[in-house]
Amino acid sequence: MDLRQTSLYAEHVKLNAKMAPFADFAMPIQYTTVKDEVAAVRQKVGIFDVSHMGEFFIEGPEANDFVDYLMTNDFKNSEPHKAVYSPLCNDEGHILDDLIAYKINDQTVLICVNAANVQKDWAWVSSHVGKFKCVAKNLSDDFSLLAVQGPQTVAVLKKIGLDFDDRNFPYYSVKSCLFGSSEVIMARTGYTGEDGFEIFCSHQLAPVLWNKLLQEKVTPCGLAARDILRLEVGYPLYGHELNEQLTPADCGVGWAVKKDKASFIGRDALRTNTPVYQAVKLSLGQGIPRAGYPITNAAGEVIGEVSSGTISPTLNQGIALGRVKRAVMPADKVMFIQIRGKNIPATFHQKPFITGGHK
Amino acid sequence: MSTHEVPDSLKYTRDHEWANIEGDTMTFGISDFAQSSLGDVVFLELPEVGTTLKQGDACGVIESIKSVSDLCTPMSGVVEEINQEAVDNPALCNTSPYLTWLVKVKISAMHEADQLLDAAQYTEHCAQEHHE
Repeated sequence: MDLRQTSLYAEHVKLNAKMAPFADFAMPIQYTTVKDEVAAVRQKVGIFDVSHMGEFFIEGPEANDFVDYLMTNDFKNSEPHKAVYSPLCNDEGHILDDLIAYKINDQTVLICVNAANVQKDWAWVSSHVGKFKCVAKNLSDDFSLLAVQGPQTVAVLKKIGLDFDDRNFPYYSVKSCLFGSSEVIMARTGYTGEDGFEIFCSHQLAPVLWNKLLQEKVTPCGLAARDILRLEVGYPLYGHELNEQLTPADCGVGWAVKKDKASFIGRDALRTNTPVYQAVKLSLGQGIPRAGYPITNAAGEVIGEVSSGTISPTLNQGIALGRVKRAVMPADKVMFIQIRGKNIPATFHQKPFITGGHK
Repeated sequence: MSTHEVPDSLKYTRDHEWANIEGDTMTFGISDFAQSSLGDVVFLELPEVGTTLKQGDACGVIESIKSVSDLCTPMSGVVEEINQEAVDNPALCNTSPYLTWLVKVKISAMHEADQLLDAAQYTEHCAQEHHE
């Protein structure tokens, strides 16, 4: 099958990016080195093409009610222009995907979903929308999405002429803004832990914004850097930390389930659910943890597994997200990661490996 | 994978190791093609000195940020020395793959050299692999 191309494909080729298939798209994995791209986002500012992600628009008088019913987190009571993170669960309380819902106005919600799950999520959303006075549109093919991330984001976006008031634009909020005469949707969200914006725009505008930002020395960053940046701040990724066999509390996102909400999909199951796993963050003094490596206790017994692992270029050590069976979680949190038969002592982290600078 | 270096003076494996044979010793490392495919090399695990290896044995591990690969010996022999400088600074595999030998082996079966690829054969092999 031919891979799909984003509106920025030609720009990636021009930059000689290493490309690879991701969710049916040919996506840039890295441009220079992953280390430099990660450092750019932590210290300055980087730009990602994440146009492969899905965009659904929910419109109508009951748009907020419908989105609140779809998601486990509280959307209905969130203020106008807020963004809300949530798992999307089925009736059994198992995770179909995770998403961010943006309250564009009273009657319009934008839902951004993972690229690999667009078809599945769209089938799910469109099969439930009939119960509410609103319509759902899958506009995934109509939008490009740029993520501009890092401490210098605000300055550089203003410099290229995006019209927005950053002092009146809190973390996890959304607004329609102008670039010249073109409207874009700007959200102060991201997947790196740093301050930054995600910009939903037309396919025509995306290369214009991209090249203006490159002229301002913003570093183009690929999906490899993006994966490390999210791991360093402990954010889960669907297909690794989250999947359809697990409930939110198994994955460390139980905080995004508001069990007292009157009505939402998965409510009955999640109110009585006892989680099997606990999500853990582990780092290593030596070696690099990888997805699938066993997590063991002091007696060498397997008690869980790594769901994502890498070397953190920022910390220069191996870091991992994983899950451990709650029934056998060591009380003292002494755990090991098994690498090629050797059990390497791991340090348990209550907090993310790195504290990003987001507002 | 547009351009990559393949020095004429070396022999190669289909798994993208290079071998430099001098008398009865061989040093080997990973090719330019290999380092470019792997991306940033961040960790090396090399065999212990004195280990006896058979041709093709996985005797070490090369980890890039995204992947884990085996390092296989191009020829049989006994490990004489490992390159500690490369272990301490694995990025040398990226910056100068052909100057960064990883393992030095006392060759035990010289005829195995005939099975290795020369530069032209290896270049052809990489081109084929790239198009698969």
